[in-house]
Amino acid sequence: MRGSIRALGRLAGGLYLLLLYLFVMGPLLFVIATSFNPATSFPSRFEGFTLSWYAAILERPEFLAATGTSALVAALAAALAVLVAFLAAYALSRQGGAGGRGAMATLLASPLLVPQVVVSLAILQLASSFGIGTGFWGLVAAHAVYVMPFALRLILTGFARFDFAVEEASRSLGGGPLATWREVTLPLLRPSLVAGFTFCFILSFVNLPLSLFLTGPETATLPIVMFAYIESRIDPMIAAVASLIVLAAATATLLLDRFLRVRLVD
Amino acid sequence: MPELVLSHVTRRFSGHTAVDDLSLTVRDGEFVCLLGPSGCGKTTTLRIIAGFERADAGSLTLDGADITALPPEKREIGVVFQSYALFPHKTVAENIGFGLKMRGRSRAEIATAVEQALALVRLDGLGGRYPRALSGGQQQRVALARALAIRPRLLLMDEPLSNLDAQLREEMRVEIRRIQHSLGITAVLVTHDQGEALAMADRVAVMSQGRLQQMAAPAEIYEAPATAFVGHFIGQVNVLEGRLEQVDGRTGLLALPGGLKLAGAGQGLAAGQAARAMVKQERIALTRAEPTGLPNRFPCRVVERTYLGGGIAYRCAAAGASLTALLPNHPLFERFAPGDAAWLGWTAADCTIFPG
Repeated sequence: MRGSIRALGRLAGGLYLLLLYLFVMGPLLFVIATSFNPATSFPSRFEGFTLSWYAAILERPEFLAATGTSALVAALAAALAVLVAFLAAYALSRQGGAGGRGAMATLLASPLLVPQVVVSLAILQLASSFGIGTGFWGLVAAHAVYVMPFALRLILTGFARFDFAVEEASRSLGGGPLATWREVTLPLLRPSLVAGFTFCFILSFVNLPLSLFLTGPETATLPIVMFAYIESRIDPMIAAVASLIVLAAATATLLLDRFLRVRLVD
Repeated sequence: MPELVLSHVTRRFSGHTAVDDLSLTVRDGEFVCLLGPSGCGKTTTLRIIAGFERADAGSLTLDGADITALPPEKREIGVVFQSYALFPHKTVAENIGFGLKMRGRSRAEIATAVEQALALVRLDGLGGRYPRALSGGQQQRVALARALAIRPRLLLMDEPLSNLDAQLREEMRVEIRRIQHSLGITAVLVTHDQGEALAMADRVAVMSQGRLQQMAAPAEIYEAPATAFVGHFIGQVNVLEGRLEQVDGRTGLLALPGGLKLAGAGQGLAAGQAARAMVKQERIALTRAEPTGLPNRFPCRVVERTYLGGGIAYRCAAAGASLTALLPNHPLFERFAPGDAAWLGWTAADCTIFPG
């Protein structure tokens, strides 16, 4: 009797989880399914299976160029964010619990609280009031500022398990400050640094609102090009592009989980 | 082998002085324990010696050379940390070889030194393991081997045994002493455990509130405390407050408020002065018959009996004073129960009087 109640409970739990996954993943599955649908309008009934929309991407050079731009922006922004976040996390963690540590961490996380479109517009206004263009590096900087708090969170978690005495051990054994970072500090924090970089890269790569006011013809990122594309027409090719992005992000996340045992999502 | 000299070392943190004008010398090949309650400045002192913390004033010399401004990596001082601070991403052999790698030694040379260090701490064959696969005691030995592999001029240990269970701790006391002795290395160990300090050290430096209270051989620290703090801190001690009635050179008679008069010895005593007598619990005899040979003897009533295994502690009341006598748990010694009438007795030499 008790066993069957427990089994029923487990079944209900499983069902709940299934519904939850369906709610989160359902739209994605629909988009992915659409990318294989030969119908030319979107959304539409399923008429068969084709890979032609994927092939169609190759005929749109602006998509390929934007993918390159996005990847470059994301890589630079993520690198910048991880560098800043690492130094901040190092200082915050070393300080221990004392002296405004919490306030500092909140301040560093504050870019999360401002709507991205507002940030984008603000940077544009500021730059034009000085009579300068924002350009490629303006875009990178905006992305770096936005993704930095996420990197900071992850790296602070890494530092929580870091015993600063190992740095002193290294120093006492003859390792100078640089050798100590190279041999001890960085290797021990590598998982959270890699995770931080990957997470920031993905966030930057798919970001639309920050880029809205900061991209020109030369610096159009992939989300901007996609946005422009669906303003004029909607066909399953855009679903194919979206599916590829999902595939790349999922792969990166799974690799992190598999090889570094770092979870971006708990 | 080198000698370590601290002169007038001071270290202030916002609001309080952690180390206050500390001067002491650790002789060549000597094993010194810095002993004191938490917050007495002993760990800060060790960190200043290691170079992790700077001194606000004063200077340090090692082997005659001034090391006050030298960064830790240039001091050639081995450190064993309380948390061991082993590198978790390196194997035992890589941990032990780290210092030599930093010195640019050849691979073959490092391998030989690592083997020797492993043998010294009796961990032969465990070089390929990672620290997390070792027991606490083994990690402790690796930490020791790593600090010794650089052939340091001085070995520092910060509460190295505090994370071990009681039996292993006793074992490692002997082991660390054996290794220190066999290498003839100068060593400083920080501990709050007086048993550890008395058992291991050639000399014990007792610290309180950043100041050095006394530095002497364990027996002297125990038998002839130089300050009231040391007298109170070391051993299980009865403290009795009163007023000096009569002083004759180094001996005096202390009158307690309840009427007891204690004969004791001390320095800087003056008649009429308030003072404290300190008597170690195990130096008090508790008998049914009057101990006529002892200058301090008082009738008492047993109030409380605490069975300690190796000994039995009796708390007794005598003319308003409360005293605890610790007797060996041995058939030759009388047994008492709460309510029993008995006599307390001790010599004048075992009754140290401190003014104030």
